Amino acid sequence: MKKNKTTIKNFSNKEGQLVELDNSSFLPLPPPYDKLELEPKIKPLLEETREKYECDLDGIVSLKFPRPQTQDEKKALVEKFLSGLKKLFEKENNWSFMQPLFLTMEYCAKCQTCANACPIYNESGQLDIYRPTFRSDILRRLYKTYVKKGGRFFAKISGNDIDASWTMIARLMELCYRCTICRRCAQTCPIGVDNGLVTREIRKIFSQEMGITVEPLHAKGSVQQLKAGSSTGMTPVAFLDNIEFLEEEVEERTGMKFKWPMDKAGADILLIHNAGEYLAWPENPEAFAIILEAAGISYTLSSEVVAYDGVNYGVWYDDVQFAKVAIKHAEAAKKLGVKKIVLGECGHAHKALTVIADRVLTGDINIPRESSMTLLEDIIKQGRLKLDPSRNDDIITTLHDPCNLVRLMGVVKPQRTVLRAVSNHFREMTPHGVENFCCGGGSGFAITQDLNFPDWRHSVSSRAKIRQILDVFQDVIGPEQKKYVCAPCSNCKGAIRDMFAAYGMFERCNILYGGLVELVVNAMPEIEKPFLEWEWH
Amino acid sequence: MGGLQLLLYFAVLFFVIAIVVKTIKIARMPIHLRWDLYPVPHEKGKGAYGGSYFEEIDWWTKPKNFSLFSELKEMGMEILFIQSLFHHNRSLWLFSFPFHFGMYCLIVHGVLLLIGAILTTAGVEVLWSSQNVVIVSIFYLTLALGKAGWLLSAFGALGVLLSRIFNGRLRGSSVLSDYANLIILLALFTVGTISSFTVDTGYSIQRSFVADIITFGSGSALPGLLTAQLLILILLLLYFPFTHMTHFVGKYFTYHKIRWEDEPNVAGSKIEKAVSAALGYRINWSASHIKSGATWAEAATEEASENEKK
Repeated sequence: MKKNKTTIKNFSNKEGQLVELDNSSFLPLPPPYDKLELEPKIKPLLEETREKYECDLDGIVSLKFPRPQTQDEKKALVEKFLSGLKKLFEKENNWSFMQPLFLTMEYCAKCQTCANACPIYNESGQLDIYRPTFRSDILRRLYKTYVKKGGRFFAKISGNDIDASWTMIARLMELCYRCTICRRCAQTCPIGVDNGLVTREIRKIFSQEMGITVEPLHAKGSVQQLKAGSSTGMTPVAFLDNIEFLEEEVEERTGMKFKWPMDKAGADILLIHNAGEYLAWPENPEAFAIILEAAGISYTLSSEVVAYDGVNYGVWYDDVQFAKVAIKHAEAAKKLGVKKIVLGECGHAHKALTVIADRVLTGDINIPRESSMTLLEDIIKQGRLKLDPSRNDDIITTLHDPCNLVRLMGVVKPQRTVLRAVSNHFREMTPHGVENFCCGGGSGFAITQDLNFPDWRHSVSSRAKIRQILDVFQDVIGPEQKKYVCAPCSNCKGAIRDMFAAYGMFERCNILYGGLVELVVNAMPEIEKPFLEWEWH
Repeated sequence: MGGLQLLLYFAVLFFVIAIVVKTIKIARMPIHLRWDLYPVPHEKGKGAYGGSYFEEIDWWTKPKNFSLFSELKEMGMEILFIQSLFHHNRSLWLFSFPFHFGMYCLIVHGVLLLIGAILTTAGVEVLWSSQNVVIVSIFYLTLALGKAGWLLSAFGALGVLLSRIFNGRLRGSSVLSDYANLIILLALFTVGTISSFTVDTGYSIQRSFVADIITFGSGSALPGLLTAQLLILILLLLYFPFTHMTHFVGKYFTYHKIRWEDEPNVAGSKIEKAVSAALGYRINWSASHIKSGATWAEAATEEASENEKK
């Protein structure tokens, strides 16, 4: 990686790829990954891919946006971007975030305190383009030049003017997918400026005005969820088939035979899992079903379109898609007449429906929403489950804090209470709780699997989490000791799964990952066989 | 009445109006979606570790545990000592803290000058030799806070300016106005420091000047250094509202109305009414998945099948 400084000027004008990435310039990892050859490398794009897609930021592609061929096309795209930018500051179009965005545009003191907090910037070896203020400064200049009264005149005399060019907009388009919106930067800002919000607002211009989005988030994400029922593509019929299969599997694994409550009107709780769990980690919804059955909780699942998939990808890129999905979740709960909605182990689903949608859901669809962490803690505190933590004694556990659940929602202790009740060998990462590091898969990165984007995720955005995991287990890092990263979030699990695979961490260090409820069921004495299968999946 | 005095009246009035207008503009913006960021200090018993009421089972059935003391304590620590900078950017805090703390001293110093001026107008001289302990206290407090304030803020402003010039990361994101803000402040604090230790060591000239200001008196001519000090102050009052230096306004909203605003939306509440009003706004985003021209409520409940037909 060339250590030359990247300025907004060359970001806007310089032709070709702006920054070359090289693993040797990233922050070194702890043993055994202190040897560079053990790290996965970022694969360069093929020449035909480079010619086809915009990739002039850092040679990484997340959006797969085809390069415009003519000056007219470029001009039209720039105009469209500027039109979207203006809409961000109109109450009719952006009441949802206009005030926070305005404050962030007006009051940044450029003290760079946020940069110290950003894992992507620091782990990359402090590449300028990944500095939290870098993309914000570009948006701020565009705002001051093209949106504010007095526009270019005042922007020019204050040194804030900028010319919007396609070169710049195309790079900004990719750059807004180099931040996980973990909001660690905002947490440390003395003024309360929010560079994570800026990332999301830029994404909104591209999505809501220009129709440019990351495919797994939009076309194969929220659009598919609204149309087919789930972002996984799973239809209601397929979902019901799946549940039947899981019921059989639970019986095989535990000897417990029971029907999972489905579409049960009048149940106390509507439980919504991230549908990815049913396909990628079925042991997680299975464990939930076992716990809730054993604890005698009145709950139901829903087979309504959208309501069996807790994901809401709009939370990362589009307010309208966000609202559509949130309303569908609430309407399903209303139809069933439940007292509350409980979210399974999915961080962004928690924040989306519990916190952000609180100002979308009004009237009779404003049904109380709650975290499964809280419910599980209550079950354990009330002694509704028999638990023997020694059944997990061969495993050393640590807890990953999903940003959405912890820093952005304040659910910190319940999962720890549960984990301590089922594990005698629990240790905390540093830092943890609300100061945690993102898994690197936040804001949609965990599901963005195209081209070389996953390479970037493994090497850069997940790097701080890899470091934390290696550090917390450093004294037992060899394969002889079983170690478990408990990640009560589907997206985090996806990112951790991919990083473990890329680094070979299960084979080399015997570190496995999974959810919280699996450990709980593993500690239930009435289940004879270990529920936790110590194998790579 | 001199031209300088008239200019000062205008600048103060302009400053106050501009700040009020700016504050109202922000306050009148529509309600936004919740965007909490933890820790939230008013979460009683939970704020210290970043917990929230979402940790409680059936949280909506329980009384809210709001700790005003914890919130005020957090605000006090942040406003007085800039603790976020202390924890996360210590090298800059070394200058930013005296810079800000010095200004707080100067604000109190200004209030004391005003009190002294009112007393003078009422015929009570503010002197160190007064027999009244309150008057003596006012005299010495004015003196101590003035000298400490000018010195600390000048030192801090110089340090912050030099950091901005010599720290590559700060320099990389700075524009002309960032330097201009600091240069104007540094000029004011430097001239203020010099005048404090030379032409007006006991602040009697400035107290008399303030007395003239509040009584709309004609006043006597100020020494050159104090005239310069006043001119820079006037320039600052006129310029300040257009800069991010008004972040004391913004900070109220970013903390209390965004980061720490965890008030749940309940049926019949002001929040629900505001949300309902916002959902009635008509949108005109252009992407094909959005029903342009519809209200937010209509766009958000548009069925996928209709959406797909486009």
